[in-house]
Amino acid sequence: MATLEAASSRREWRRRERRGTVGLLSGPLLWLLLFFVTPVAFIAAYSVGAVSLFPTDSSVISLDDWGRFLGGGSIYMGLFWKSIRMSLTVSVVVVLLAYPIGYFLALCTKKRKYVLLLLIIAPFLTSYLLRVLAWKVMLGEHGVVNSLLFSLHIRSPDDPITWLLYSQFTVMLVLAYVWVPFVALPIFVSLDNLDRSLLEAASDLGSSRWRAFVRITLPLSLPGVLAAFLFVFIPTIGEFVTPLLVGGTSGYMYGNAIQDLFTRGLDWQTGSVLALFLLLVVAGLMALFGRFVQVRSVAA
Amino acid sequence: MEIATSVGALRSLRMVFGLLVLFLYVPIVLLAIFSFNAGDVSFPLEGFTTEWYSRVFANPALLSALKRSAVVALVSSLLAVALGVLASFALIRRRFAGKAVASALFFSPLVVPYVVFGISLLVLFTFVDRLLAETTGFYIGLGLHSIVIGHVVVSLPYTILTIMPLLERLSVSLEEASHDLGASTWETFRRVTLPLLFPALISSFLIAFTLSFDEFAIASFLAGAQPTWPVFLFAQLRVPSQLPVLVAVSSMILVASLIFVLGAEIVRRSMERRYGREFAARGMV
Repeated sequence: MATLEAASSRREWRRRERRGTVGLLSGPLLWLLLFFVTPVAFIAAYSVGAVSLFPTDSSVISLDDWGRFLGGGSIYMGLFWKSIRMSLTVSVVVVLLAYPIGYFLALCTKKRKYVLLLLIIAPFLTSYLLRVLAWKVMLGEHGVVNSLLFSLHIRSPDDPITWLLYSQFTVMLVLAYVWVPFVALPIFVSLDNLDRSLLEAASDLGSSRWRAFVRITLPLSLPGVLAAFLFVFIPTIGEFVTPLLVGGTSGYMYGNAIQDLFTRGLDWQTGSVLALFLLLVVAGLMALFGRFVQVRSVAA
Repeated sequence: MEIATSVGALRSLRMVFGLLVLFLYVPIVLLAIFSFNAGDVSFPLEGFTTEWYSRVFANPALLSALKRSAVVALVSSLLAVALGVLASFALIRRRFAGKAVASALFFSPLVVPYVVFGISLLVLFTFVDRLLAETTGFYIGLGLHSIVIGHVVVSLPYTILTIMPLLERLSVSLEEASHDLGASTWETFRRVTLPLLFPALISSFLIAFTLSFDEFAIASFLAGAQPTWPVFLFAQLRVPSQLPVLVAVSSMILVASLIFVLGAEIVRRSMERRYGREFAARGMV
């Protein structure tokens, strides 16, 4: 009797749970619909002139701004490709740097594995802006590096190394610095999950370590490598904070153009075109390669 | 014999690792050293001082910017954790139509460029204000509330990602047992589920808090006349005389957050290990 009651009340509980699903979902869904989907829909509408806020905005729905942008009639398309080139370079360099680190941590360390991994990742979890600032302080004309050279009499104070700050090179250096810890993670995870008996089998069958690496380890870790690559490539295309701090004019990127159009130029219509285009590029990349990016490995 | 590397290769891998650690920590360490330097932020070092640190605490604009960031981070991370719990429960414990779409929506803020998201919110808020001003004569304006709204959106996927794995491992039978023993749904949640989820809630709160506290990109578009700490820092960088003070407060925050992060990670791991053992012993995992 008691068990029957328990069973029927449990059924009732389950039924109430189903109704509760709506309650669970409505909070987070509503928040994202109001403050994430709606604003993006707004810039989409803005970019074709369906919405206008300023007297200078065109109030007629047209694809003119899109045409000018895609047709290369403005400087922005060139800037977009420059940003793509820069973030491609950064992503490749960073993955090449992070691979041996992931390999070392996953396959050559035992007890201290997670401590060493944390040592690499910890900087990533501190302030992004402050880490960029640290480089600005280091590389300025009278910054740490130059003043060190002055005091060691390697260079005279009248002749500092000027290209250290405000150049494309600096932007890429700092971006690499910022992203390297994060990228080591997916590579580490994919190598750590590698079945070691495969390597033992290869060695038993007379294969050299190098051959085993090329034929077994490397191919099996490629999904992790691709994920790592996308982890840097996607966020750096739209980067604007690092170039703002250390880029000067030659390090100016696509993201800076978007920011300037909204905060200085007040051409929100063109800005919306640029922003939406960037969003579409990112969405396209995710649609093509998204399955390689295991979001869960971020939390691991 | 080592299976993965030869002795020589191991030596060079160790060296690469050491060099990378140097590369990662040298700028941070230098920043900390120069925060105690009596002169400019450049060589040669001119003697030890804590002057810059005391100036930090004598700078009301800086302190109120830090306070604003703390408030924004606190409010937005509490909201993000609450919404994250709801979303995680829905994704792990419930079956519903359109789950794939909902989950894609929850995680998409991870890949949206912050500059795009920031200006989108700016456009939305400007539009709402314009509408309000035209119809009612008053408007809301930008400020801390707008930053909170944006930060909740970008923190949400992180809180979900932290809560989901633990929730997945918690057996439903515990909640069913609690219910069979006469507890109401709310009581079960409060006295069984919530305590078991506690480590995940703490670490997701810490992640959301740190993310929000020093988030610059979104805040720079939405701060209006209420600069948060990173927005303030950025504006002050144009004043060279302020640099030593900024270096002092920056190194304080960097070192504090390093300790914070390492501490949180150690606590999380030890809690998880303990929980893991207890559950395993009772056959509940």
